[in-house]
Amino acid sequence: MSAIQTENLGKGYRAFLFGDLQQPFALKGLSLEVREGETFGFLGPNGAGKTTTILLLLNLIQPTVGSAWLFGEPVSRSGVHRRLGYLPESVNLHDYYTGQGLLEFYAALLNVPRETRRPRIAELLKLLRLEDAAHKSVAKYSKGMLQRLGFAQAMLHDPDLLILDEPTASLDPVGRKEFRDILLDLKHRGKTIFISSHILSEVESVCDRVAILQKGELKRVGTLQELSSSRSGRLILQNVPGTVLEALAATSAEITLLRGQVTVKIPDAATLAVIEQLLRQYGIQPERTEVETQSLEDIFFSTIAPPPPIP
Amino acid sequence: MNLIFLIARDSFKALLHQRLLVGLMLVAFGMTVFFSAIMSRTRDSITAQFDFSSTETNSPVFGKMNEQDKKKMNEAMEQGATAIQGFFYAASSFGGSIVALMIFSTAVTAEIRRGTIRLTLSKPVSRLQYLAGKYLGGLAVMVIYALLTSAAVLIFSASTKVQLSPVLSYAPWLMFCRQLMLGSVALLLSLFLHPAVAAVLAFFAGNGLFSTSNPLYYLLPSYAPFNVFTAILQGSMMSRTDVVLLTLYALDFVVLMLLLALWRFQKREVCS
Repeated sequence: MSAIQTENLGKGYRAFLFGDLQQPFALKGLSLEVREGETFGFLGPNGAGKTTTILLLLNLIQPTVGSAWLFGEPVSRSGVHRRLGYLPESVNLHDYYTGQGLLEFYAALLNVPRETRRPRIAELLKLLRLEDAAHKSVAKYSKGMLQRLGFAQAMLHDPDLLILDEPTASLDPVGRKEFRDILLDLKHRGKTIFISSHILSEVESVCDRVAILQKGELKRVGTLQELSSSRSGRLILQNVPGTVLEALAATSAEITLLRGQVTVKIPDAATLAVIEQLLRQYGIQPERTEVETQSLEDIFFSTIAPPPPIP
Repeated sequence: MNLIFLIARDSFKALLHQRLLVGLMLVAFGMTVFFSAIMSRTRDSITAQFDFSSTETNSPVFGKMNEQDKKKMNEAMEQGATAIQGFFYAASSFGGSIVALMIFSTAVTAEIRRGTIRLTLSKPVSRLQYLAGKYLGGLAVMVIYALLTSAAVLIFSASTKVQLSPVLSYAPWLMFCRQLMLGSVALLLSLFLHPAVAAVLAFFAGNGLFSTSNPLYYLLPSYAPFNVFTAILQGSMMSRTDVVLLTLYALDFVVLMLLLALWRFQKREVCS
């Protein structure tokens, strides 16, 4: 089952109460599926429509076109929110509570059983290093502490789906590392995680699949391997006849012969296709294939259009 | 239902943490105390005007006066007390209206502006539950305000032995109904307009400016019958049936406004 599904989801904003829809749309016809148990990275430059998508998924804003579902139910049903935890981009919390009091309020809203509420809150406060600040007013929390408290409220009811919008924006490197460890633990426990982030290394280290958005449009979606356009790599061959070696040398690949082992360094996808055909023709199976995929950063920058040159 | 009360409790807590609102309530309460104190001083000064021998004997003042003086004194005291009660009523009514407008015009919009609504509505809380909870939280603060002002009047009338106008037996209730009506209009308008504009419009949205031939007379709320300032001054009483009918009118009106507010809130984008 899909944890998140959108179909032609779009959002435009009106100039005023009765004004015409303004172009460009913040989100244009997004069709996306996030499977249960998947860790999904949602990437894009500022203004790409990431937060708009999240707000639509939470039914905090209404779509201009299209529909969205969480666990097969329309997002407009508040009941489905029982299975979801949300951490917004800028964590704004009720500052008239203490950290503990705020978590108790949200736990009550989430119908966390009274007998498990206190231990669960204590566990989360400890996990997120907020134990000492539990009885301090939220108004006195630092940005990083607010972020961690926001994360605690998202995990109160151990949700099946976590929607995290720039979750580590206010965290220091130590906090980021701890956060990544928590995410990996949640991932191993089969939770679905939907992360919108600018920190590509973070997404790369935890996500199974990523989607790249630009100017409200979905540009690419898939695993890192699927998205990697570069098919450069190496083939290791043994017992290659001379005729085949000559044929290989005629391609743009770089051939190295060492103690009977041939290493073919392939620069691109086109050369790889030629070499694969050649080997099939002579009935040679490579002993080992090493394909180098692009880093997420390379994929990201090759996907989004380069900025116009400065005159 | 539980969720509504949780939101109401949170809203109540939030309102009591609003310094401006608490300050406003204290000012309104202070005005009540001030007028009650004046009521007491007026009584003393009127008594002193007619008291020619109270320093000489321990007998009651009335015992030393002739019948004409007694009558004059009674009339003067009655007039003074009535005027003060009228002003007290006007002050607490105006103060309460401002408090109600402030509470309800910002009930939802302040949370949208601060962004705290995102987290609340990301929980399994429907918009109906959220709005109902917010209204109940505001209503609880208004109940406290009404109880405080009523208690102040009772305490001062008991301590100064001034006979209260019989109109004041139902005036706080009608004042409370009127404030809830004002609040519901402010809440509805705040979902379309800036809260300050919504509050001002709600305050002046009464049909008092229009004749019965104007359709607006029937569309706009009728606040005037809830205002008993003139009744206090003139000593004219309202029948129990009229009070019940006005209560039902206020209830109808509040429910209608809340339904309209809910209709609007269901479609309202809750991101600043």
